[in-house]
Amino acid sequence: MADRRRINGPVGTTIPPIYDDASEKKSEGVKTTRSRPANVIRKMYLKTGVTPSASGSAYLEIESSGNGGSGLKLSCSVHGPRALPRSTPFSPHIILSTHVKFAPFATKQRRGYIRDPIERDLGTHLEAALRGSIIADRWPKSGVDIIISIVEGEQDRETSKAQGIEAWDTMNALSGCITVASAALADAGIDCVDTVAGGVAALVQDAGDDAAPSIVVDPIPSEHEKVLAACCIAYLPTRQEVTNLWFKGDLPASDMDLYSQLVEKGIQASKSANWVLVDCLNETVG
Amino acid sequence: MAATAPVPSLSFSRPTFAKLSPHPYLLTNLTDPENPCRTNGRVPHEARPIHIHTSSLAHANGSALVRTGDTTVVCGVRAEILPVASIPQYRPREPTYNDENTGDDSTDVDELKDYDLLVPNIELATGCAPQFLPGVPPTTLAQTLSTRIYSLLHSCKVVDPKGLRVWYTPPKETKEEGAMEVDEAQEEEEDEEETKPELKAYWVLYIDLLFVSFDGNPFDAAWTAVMAALRDTKLPAARWDPDREAVVCSRSEEAKTALGVRGLPVACTATVFLEKEHGEDSGTSAERKSRHWILLDPDRLEESLCKETVTVVVDCSGEETKVKSIEKHGGTVIGRELMRGFVGVAEGRWREVKEASK
Repeated sequence: MADRRRINGPVGTTIPPIYDDASEKKSEGVKTTRSRPANVIRKMYLKTGVTPSASGSAYLEIESSGNGGSGLKLSCSVHGPRALPRSTPFSPHIILSTHVKFAPFATKQRRGYIRDPIERDLGTHLEAALRGSIIADRWPKSGVDIIISIVEGEQDRETSKAQGIEAWDTMNALSGCITVASAALADAGIDCVDTVAGGVAALVQDAGDDAAPSIVVDPIPSEHEKVLAACCIAYLPTRQEVTNLWFKGDLPASDMDLYSQLVEKGIQASKSANWVLVDCLNETVG
Repeated sequence: MAATAPVPSLSFSRPTFAKLSPHPYLLTNLTDPENPCRTNGRVPHEARPIHIHTSSLAHANGSALVRTGDTTVVCGVRAEILPVASIPQYRPREPTYNDENTGDDSTDVDELKDYDLLVPNIELATGCAPQFLPGVPPTTLAQTLSTRIYSLLHSCKVVDPKGLRVWYTPPKETKEEGAMEVDEAQEEEEDEEETKPELKAYWVLYIDLLFVSFDGNPFDAAWTAVMAALRDTKLPAARWDPDREAVVCSRSEEAKTALGVRGLPVACTATVFLEKEHGEDSGTSAERKSRHWILLDPDRLEESLCKETVTVVVDCSGEETKVKSIEKHGGTVIGRELMRGFVGVAEGRWREVKEASK
């Protein structure tokens, strides 16, 4: 039975448009090389206070890759701290609840309104990243809701290369989520030990036969031939602590160096994002 | 007034007063002898300025961001193909009918509505205001708004169904394949005896609205966003591929056609604020005697204090103003004369929106 609380549209299933091969040739001219140096993240725009009725809110936009792709657009609102309902058991610290939701028009395929596993996964990772930065025992018996709407996900419009790319896009989305949530928490005036920001580093194989795999920060999957492994880091710069580490991909087990290099680069990306974050917060205060 | 209370120990800030006793707070503001205005600084008949920004989303066929004051809504229109084969109880239509009787609206509306080609949905649970938190099913408000948008889209006949049809002309025996697009249908009309174009599929428009920030008057903002996004919508050129038995689209930007949108209906909402707090003796006679203010484009505080709401949808794009819809509920203050006057106010609002959507 369809969801009767929403308007479901026609009974028959609708198909997303299929594009023919004839016009696909045009898209091959898309550049598959990285346009930035390997250790520079993309430009981002961060703004706090987009939702005045929330305790804190922020909006983050990361510039698009420039070849028919779309940048990441995130809106985050924080509600609370507020008292937990009476039925909940006693909690000596603040209870974080995070929700990450893609808008139906955020990705190439239209998304439903029910949260899917990817969104739940993002929510869990985000909670882990933020829990390390909030001074949780200042608010016993209370809760705070952190809600992120992904208005536009980061995916290229060209369908041809899209298979298998989504996993890496999720990682970029998570790093954006961490940064924007951190800005919103600061805007809400919730005490944190430090501002946490997200960063992604990836081991990529570039186009060309003899190219050796290299490590880049803030990867755009379509700009590289293949992404071998990626890791998303949430990092507190003043404390030099990693609050969340998410690693995905294949690395040879013999080479532990590669692993720590990847983490280091992730931390570097996170630091760069943190400068933007701190600048934005300084602007709001000053 | 709150801020200028004589005894300092008893003075609260304005937001505190607004929270503690909202009704007297708004009433005091409105009856202020020197500067009568609402708590948000507007005079009763003043709407918030409207900002419209279109085509900012890459994955949607059309999109708009509308901001009025602190209400911000994002709308994305997404087109998907519905093959006629998967429409239950599909009635094939005569192609000639479509091309000649362009002005016949009565059948158009059937098509859009029978096959449910427009699918508007509103998502409020984005934390856009403290009462809308995610993880719950759509609230009554979200459901009502979606349904109102849905019925208004159909009753205003905003979308031209011609642009949503995907035609196919079967090839003649001797000639080469004559697959053609929607707008070419007219030219090929002459040799209609031999090959009749067949309707193979429809475009379905998923219109999704997401509130980023909520501060009252969601319907006006949502409707403006829907209209702006629809006017921004471009559909890729689509043709029926008989070999694959599927609709195939072209990726080229030039071949995209703008969606046919008729007119520019604009919604204008106001609430009626009564001097007496509602709940206490709301007999009709008492209400008439009590003073009232009509507050245009109410914010969240005002919405929570007012029962009677009126929404008028007008379209002034023709020579004369057309009232497309009137909705009123919750009270008896607005009668015939007030309604007439309010249509005038709505006309003013229409011009503002028109200006903003340029």
